[in-house]
Order: sequence, then C-alpha cells, then structure tokens
Amino acid sequence: MKTRNLSILLAGLFVIAGAVCAAAARAEGEVPAPPAIGATIEDFTLPDYDNKDRSLKSLAGKNGTVLIFVAVQCPVSNAYNERMEKLAQEYQAKGIAVIGINSNVAEDAAAVKNHASTHNLTFPILKDPGNKIADKFGASVTPEAYLIDRNNKLVYHGRIDNARNAAEVQSADLRNAIEATLSGKPIEKTEAKAFGCSIKRS
Amino acid sequence: MRYTKAIIPIALCIMLLSLAAPAQKRKGHAAKPRKPIAVTAIDLEALKGLIKQERQHPLLVNFWATYCDPCRDEFPELVQIDKDYRPRSLEFVTISLDDVSDIKTSVPKFLDSMKATMPAYLLDVSDPEPAIDLVDPKWQGSLPATFLYNEKGEIIWRHVGRVNATELREEIEKVVKKAEK
Repeated sequence: MKTRNLSILLAGLFVIAGAVCAAAARAEGEVPAPPAIGATIEDFTLPDYDNKDRSLKSLAGKNGTVLIFVAVQCPVSNAYNERMEKLAQEYQAKGIAVIGINSNVAEDAAAVKNHASTHNLTFPILKDPGNKIADKFGASVTPEAYLIDRNNKLVYHGRIDNARNAAEVQSADLRNAIEATLSGKPIEKTEAKAFGCSIKRS
Repeated sequence: MRYTKAIIPIALCIMLLSLAAPAQKRKGHAAKPRKPIAVTAIDLEALKGLIKQERQHPLLVNFWATYCDPCRDEFPELVQIDKDYRPRSLEFVTISLDDVSDIKTSVPKFLDSMKATMPAYLLDVSDPEPAIDLVDPKWQGSLPATFLYNEKGEIIWRHVGRVNATELREEIEKVVKKAEK
C-alpha cells in the first residue's frame, strides 16, 4: 500500500515537474520586442518587496531613471550587485534614480527583500508578478538596464557594461549613457546587448 | 557419504567465489575514474575560425551556462543527439558562457555529470557583444541558444530557449541526409 502511495506521489511529481518545464520552455524565446529607443515610457505601478505599491512616477529621478531587471539567484546579476548599488548612490545626488525589478516567477518578495538586505542593495526593488513589466520592456535577462530621460523617453537599453568581472570593464555603456543624458549630449551607444540569466517567466 | 557432505559446502564456496571474482572485477572497472572533460577557452578569433568557415560536415553549436536552468534541463537531450548523429558526421560543440574562473570547476563537473563527449569550449572574451554578433546578429545573447550551420558556415536553423528535441532532430536529419548524398 505504501509503495502504491509512493508511486502515485512520484507520478504526480513528474506530472507537475513536466508542466513546470513545459511552461519554462514555452516562455523561452517568446519575449516581446522591447520599446524602440525614443519611445515614451508610460507610468506603471508595482509592489515593492514590502508589498507597498510604487509607481514609476513616484520613484523617478528628476533628471532620469534607470530600471534594471535583477535576480536573486543569477550569478551574473549578483556579480553586478556592488556596481548597481554604487551607481544608485553616485547618481542619486545628480537626480538619477535607480530602480530594480525582479520578474522571476520563482523569487518571491521575501526572497528579494532578504537578498537586498544581505547584499546591501538600498535602491528600491519592485516585484513584477506575472512578468507584465518585463514583457512590456521586452526584458530577456538579468541584469538588463533601461535608461529613461526626464521626458520619459527611453534613451538606452541593454547591458550595464561589457564584463561580468568588474576588473575587466572596458565599456561602461549604462554609465556613459547616463553621463551623456546629464550633460545634454547625444548618447553614442543607445543599445548594447545584455547578457545574463534568462528571466524565468510565469 | 561423509565425502559427499564435505564436498557440497566446498563446491558451494567455489561457486560463490567464482561469482564474486568477476563481480569484483566489474566493480573495479566501474570505479576506474573517467578521464575528466577538458574545457577549452575560446576567444573571438578562435570562435570565428570555429563557426565561420567552410567545413566537411554540418555543425551544431549550443551556447549554455551552468547558471542557466533551461540549459541544464535540455542537456541530456543534446548529449543523446550527439551520440546519435556524430556517427553520421554531425559535428557538435558546446560553448559555455560561464565565467572563465569556472573553466576547471563547475563547467567540467556539470559536463562530466551529463557524460557529455562533445568538444567543450568556454567563451573567454572581455566583451561578449562582438561574439554574440559574430554568431548571429539577431541573437540577443539569451541562453540557451542553439545554432545549426551547414558546410558553408551558414546558419540554417536557430533556436533561443530550450530546444524541442524532435524539431532539432528533424532539422539535423535534413542537413545530414543532404551531406550524406
């Protein structure tokens, strides 16, 4: 009887695991196209890791906003924790806000909060249930960054910089885009392919 | 009768020993460590040489990383595809996008666990964007990504995300059959 119950349990687990894998497989490669550079980004509201609703408008910097899709478990995203925090601290005084967005289905608000605390991430990190905002932005991986200027126009989309290893950074693409925006100059490179872990969509 | 009684246990012992000896041999053989998989670092130039050249056989390239869940999930199917199609002249290589510091640790460890035998590389570049563009300008760098090249070095099939093994096999069949003619 015990063996039979165990068999039923195992079979059930296989079915569930199969469904989860199928969902993951379906989600892969079906990322909607990102907004074009120059497109107006509409306001949106997401809960933060304390389940408090935050709108983009309420968090935006007066000179621009950086949205970064982040993860708890992704080693590439985690390799950027210090750089993201430094960026947030450094540009806060210059009117640029940094906002993290976690769209991974398997990483809940409690995990995001715990991760932020462990890694001293002080910028707001929002949870994106159902990956609606990741879909809206066509975000594929973590970390993947979007710079929105003071007129709510998307002016940069892509990687933070060229190297997972901070010692090998040669092209600080996001930082360059922020600097250009702040000084009113055209951004030389408005897009650079982001690399990292695929966002696990629901 | 007394002899018979003595012979039975002796014969049983001999039988058991004769069974145990090959078992021990088998155990010994199984315990023999497999040669660890060597993962080769590949830079932009070497990558260009690997994929963008004319060759004798079609080439399948899978980009993956140990931190990528769908990459790990699809790997057993890829190993089986390699076993099935290498005898039919399909070249198959894997290229890991893990950090270069993982080249002797987590990457070969995973490949070993999968019993993967295809040549294994790890992309060793300071800037991945030119490498991603070299492989396919349409590719954003998301993993896993699988590309099938013909003998001329042209992409004839691509898939970003976990592969559908049946679909991949169908594509391989087409190109392998063409090459076999």
